[in-house]
Amino acid sequence: MLWPALVMLVAFFLLPTLDIVRSSVFDPDLTGRHFERVFTRAIYLDVFWRTIRVSLIVAAVCAVVAYPVAYYIVQRPRRRQFLFLFLVFVPLWMSVLIRSYAWMVVLGREGLVNAALMGLGLTDAPVKMLFTTGAVYVAMVQILLPIQIVTCYSAMSEIDLDLMRAARVLGAGPWQAVRRVFLPLSLDGTITGAIIVFMLSMGFFITPALVGGRRDLMLANLIELQVNQLNWGFAAAIALVLMAGTVACVAAIKWLSRRLVRALSGGGAP
Amino acid sequence: MLSKRQFLSAALGAVILAGTANGPGRADDKTMTISGSGGAVAEIAQKVYLGPMQEETGITVKRVGTEAKRMAQLEAMVRSGKVLWDAMEVSASDYPIGVKKGLFEPIDYSIVDPDHKLPDSARKKYGVGAAAFSLVLAVRTDKLPAGKQMTSWADFWDVKAFPGPRALRNRPQDNLEFALLADGVAPGDLYKVLATPAGIDRAFNKLDQIKPHITAWWKAGSQAVQLLSDGEVFYSTSYNGRITKLAASGVPTEIVWNGGALHLSLVGIPKGAGHVDLAHQYIRYRAMNPARMREYIKLLPYPGFAPGLYDGLDPQVARTLPTYPDNLNAQFAANEEYWADHIDAIQERWDEWLLR
Repeated sequence: MLWPALVMLVAFFLLPTLDIVRSSVFDPDLTGRHFERVFTRAIYLDVFWRTIRVSLIVAAVCAVVAYPVAYYIVQRPRRRQFLFLFLVFVPLWMSVLIRSYAWMVVLGREGLVNAALMGLGLTDAPVKMLFTTGAVYVAMVQILLPIQIVTCYSAMSEIDLDLMRAARVLGAGPWQAVRRVFLPLSLDGTITGAIIVFMLSMGFFITPALVGGRRDLMLANLIELQVNQLNWGFAAAIALVLMAGTVACVAAIKWLSRRLVRALSGGGAP
Repeated sequence: MLSKRQFLSAALGAVILAGTANGPGRADDKTMTISGSGGAVAEIAQKVYLGPMQEETGITVKRVGTEAKRMAQLEAMVRSGKVLWDAMEVSASDYPIGVKKGLFEPIDYSIVDPDHKLPDSARKKYGVGAAAFSLVLAVRTDKLPAGKQMTSWADFWDVKAFPGPRALRNRPQDNLEFALLADGVAPGDLYKVLATPAGIDRAFNKLDQIKPHITAWWKAGSQAVQLLSDGEVFYSTSYNGRITKLAASGVPTEIVWNGGALHLSLVGIPKGAGHVDLAHQYIRYRAMNPARMREYIKLLPYPGFAPGLYDGLDPQVARTLPTYPDNLNAQFAANEEYWADHIDAIQERWDEWLLR
């Protein structure tokens, strides 16, 4: 029974989205000036590329870190799995804002890490960690990691582990069994998770604003500025550029991952 | 044919839609709704203003907490013709935007201030000044070089005499003015200078000098307080009330009133409000009652201009207020209209400047 969901999607997602498209080109008459401004002032495209770069790196780091964690969890006995998943979930229940502030306490000049480093005599002066791009990556990865782990886990838990045993019986080495059987089967879940993390990152703005430096501006920050000025048309134009960029990147990730799966599962001995 | 579940979900949808379309209940003629900040500010407003006002006048004021995006909500309500608020807090920077977009009812001063007791700066066409606040330089006195005192923006810019990490708010408003003051512009000439492209260049050039020494460009008011109290920075801009509180909590911090930017929060009436008459009575109570305002100041140091406010006010408290004569004279009045007209171009330049 699909139609209640469809009605909801049309009423609360599709129509508002179309309204955003409308307000980006009608203000009040048909105009291209909002898009012209996005593409002619250097700041918007500059921040657009920064946003994509940050999101791709966050998604990639999450994917690499989450994979072994999910692999470890999926091989535990059933009840242990729930315990680990619970632990993964705990930070998700805290608001992003609070977790961002927590990172300020950890990474600050007089924060936990610097206190430990100076206490151990590893450094004399506090190391600057807060208000750097590195801090943005650390905080965003920590905030988004549970989503990646859970997506990855749910894909892995559907893989029949006997298939690996079968591969071994048929003469594959342990690494070959993982590479040619488990990895291709689990890659879909990893890519799905990475895409979710990527899309969420593209819309981030609180965390980079709190822990980042002056260059860590995301496109969402610029949209918010325009909304606060009630410049709806221009805000809509930036939002649509952000959406187009997100869709294009997701398409590219999917295309690449299909090629990767083919390359992994096919091919002879390494 | 509809299944039972299909029917239920459709009915639920209809109820939700009907609920949003219905608008406010207009229970009786003595009840009105205002929108303002939530949290601690809302509690204080209830205790100091809304409760006593109901006792004295019989007017029940319901308060809706709206933090961010208050203006966006207002515009949506005015456009759709379903205005839920009768009066609202209007931040200093939102006021000119709302005026430009025609979102406010004009104020009838024959009700609010018939004897012309408020200063002209507080008697705007579409809003009444209710609370003054300042963006000031705040100094961690324990981090100052021995025997030295920071007293001006020129000192803030002087990284040799006053070494240490600093913070500024991440937006061009006020900062351009501070830069010009540090560069020797007289407070009275600030907006004359900023009206010319050369003046804006001059401000950015001065900001170039301090940029490498700014550790953090804060976005939310709470951030500046945390930066100072954690020792993350030694000198930062911040809002006066937050620094008074921080100092009271035991962190050795001091306000430099000299060169501070004085802003004025207003109360206004949304265009098409249902209770314009009650709204005027509320605004009068909020802006003109010195006894209530003295109570308010004890809890939040953001005073308005109620006539006779400083009579009988504890001098200890008075000195911490942005409208205390000595403090008032040391500051400049921020020109919100200038910023409403110029923010688009200057904001882009500001963001580009920060990325460089």
